[in-house]
Amino acid sequence: MTLNTPLLWVLFPLVIAAIVGALYQRKALSIILTVITAFGLALLAVFFPENLTLSIGPIRLVFSESLAILGRQITVKYEMLPFISLIYAMTGLWTLSSWFPNTPVAFRPISLVLTALLTAAAGVEPFLYAAVLIQIAILVSVPMLSQGGGATDRGILRYLTLQTLAMPLILLAGWLLTGVETLPADSPLVGQSTILLGLGFALWLGIFPFHSWIPMVAQRSRPNVVGFLVFLFPTTILVFSLNFFNRYTFLRNLPNLAETLQLFGVVMIVIGGLWTAFQTDLKRAFGFSVLTESGFSLAALGLISQGGLNWLMLLFPLRALGFWLWSFALTALENHAGELTFESVRGIARRFPILSVGLILAQFSIAGMPLLASFPIKLALLSATLNAGTAFGVWSFIGNLGLFLFTLRLLFSLLTPEDENTFEKWRPSEKSNEYLPVLIMILILVLLGLFPNNFMDGILNTLTAFTQLQ
Amino acid sequence: MQILPTLAFVVIIMTAMIILIFRDWRINAGALALQYLAAFILVDVSWPTGMAVIKLIVGWMATVAIGFTCMRQQKSTAVEESPASMFFRAVAGLLVILVMFILAPGMQRNIFPGLNLIILQSGLMLLGMGLMQLGTTAEPYLTVFALLSLLSGFEIIHAGLERSSLLTGLLVLVNLGLALVGVYFIGTGVEKGTDQDEEEVL
Repeated sequence: MTLNTPLLWVLFPLVIAAIVGALYQRKALSIILTVITAFGLALLAVFFPENLTLSIGPIRLVFSESLAILGRQITVKYEMLPFISLIYAMTGLWTLSSWFPNTPVAFRPISLVLTALLTAAAGVEPFLYAAVLIQIAILVSVPMLSQGGGATDRGILRYLTLQTLAMPLILLAGWLLTGVETLPADSPLVGQSTILLGLGFALWLGIFPFHSWIPMVAQRSRPNVVGFLVFLFPTTILVFSLNFFNRYTFLRNLPNLAETLQLFGVVMIVIGGLWTAFQTDLKRAFGFSVLTESGFSLAALGLISQGGLNWLMLLFPLRALGFWLWSFALTALENHAGELTFESVRGIARRFPILSVGLILAQFSIAGMPLLASFPIKLALLSATLNAGTAFGVWSFIGNLGLFLFTLRLLFSLLTPEDENTFEKWRPSEKSNEYLPVLIMILILVLLGLFPNNFMDGILNTLTAFTQLQ
Repeated sequence: MQILPTLAFVVIIMTAMIILIFRDWRINAGALALQYLAAFILVDVSWPTGMAVIKLIVGWMATVAIGFTCMRQQKSTAVEESPASMFFRAVAGLLVILVMFILAPGMQRNIFPGLNLIILQSGLMLLGMGLMQLGTTAEPYLTVFALLSLLSGFEIIHAGLERSSLLTGLLVLVNLGLALVGVYFIGTGVEKGTDQDEEEVL
């Protein structure tokens, strides 16, 4: 049998996921197996040679990029490996956090399956079939969102419904687009296919007004699981969307498309930011801040002619690390505090100072606080949005302030003792497996903020896969 | 040979209305099974019978999986419902049918010129009724029934446009996956939503 890259990054993790699923009662072993597989595949993607030939001692393995299935192909191109490395590395990090009690046992195998399916989606030919693979991934993701086999939340039902509606729209748009290429730009089919495509992506990405499931799911499911979900799906779907811009010239030249994307981006930033600012539930605030981040992604897409794609790609790893730390701290605090409302976490910083610092810094990093990871990109994006239109820029800035405001409110709540009239001593009681990952991630976020160009350039190589978008 | 697709079209309208109006899982499961039979007849117009029958088998498997789970959960067969709400849904369903009848010829002319009108109308009916159903219920099995109907409508239209073995295989996985998710939902039940859910999501 010929070796090929999809065997490594699609079929192999699926096999491991099946084994991990069978070993679900042996928590430590299943975590180790998942983490080693995910990090191993991430490292392999980083160091995979451009000639696709692996030499291990006397053994020489030559890989091809494609795997043929039923007359179609799944391709994992060399150019896509930086992106694949990112999603596998983050899968490893998130499954590492699954040692927390109450994390659904299905999370570990499902996380591997999702990453493998979305890797396949990023490389299936014709690329429109990716819509079906993404839909299968959405279906697979449902069990990990339910907490401990309890009753299913209505948010999950809404998530399933809205995401499922996207697939037919994308497939129909794809069929229409095959005819559009040969038509003049003023043909009504151009508009029709663009609307179908736009609707499909809006449903997938939870763009207003299809965003309602995100805060609902964030509030009811485990934060580490939600964090993984809201990183993996939008990121892969946004990369998938680049295929359309790359393939169809008329989309790149469509008048007002950039402005429309920016408009929806700003609307998402404002909605997400304002709702985040006034939340009292920490998990729900996490959900709303996801909307803000989707807004920034859309704004970056809208600024494609000003280098927006570079910012979009650079945001992915920074956002992933921020979300990881945020969801890790939330999961740990939820285990200690039970609930995650302002009232229940009041004064908790005195018992869990490092987790609290991690939570605050993660939020500040996502919000674009100077010296933290997202700052350079957020600053560049906000400046470019302001240059594109004053109103857009001002509203984006106001929306982005929402998370700052929420974080300051949370900081005040974390520091205020439960009983304000008595002096409460600081009694740090975190375990090493709680504070060490937080400290390491804080260090990484600070380093990325201080030296943004030294670490992140690799992810930009992914853009070379989209030749028309250079 | 136009008689069979026309009959299938009528069956699709009737079954879609039944699923929309009634809340008894036995009636709905029967209607969904019939709907898949009608969908098979319509897909058979565009595809070889060997491939079209896949849709029928998968649809019936999905229906049986959900039906058996409902049976195991001993869901009440006589759901208390006011006649007014059933009447409301019936009127809403009739409106959807009307809208789809109006839209279909224009869509055939402008967007899907190569597609048989009966096939387009049937697909649109299922899409429209599925959407309406999704808007009127938060019951897990009904939501999954609506999504299965909706996908079935899409597959009827798409079968007339394109034939691909891989896509057929993947859509089989989607349908079965949806049925399994339905089984999972029915097994766990659904929490009652809070007012906050609705207030804060705009």
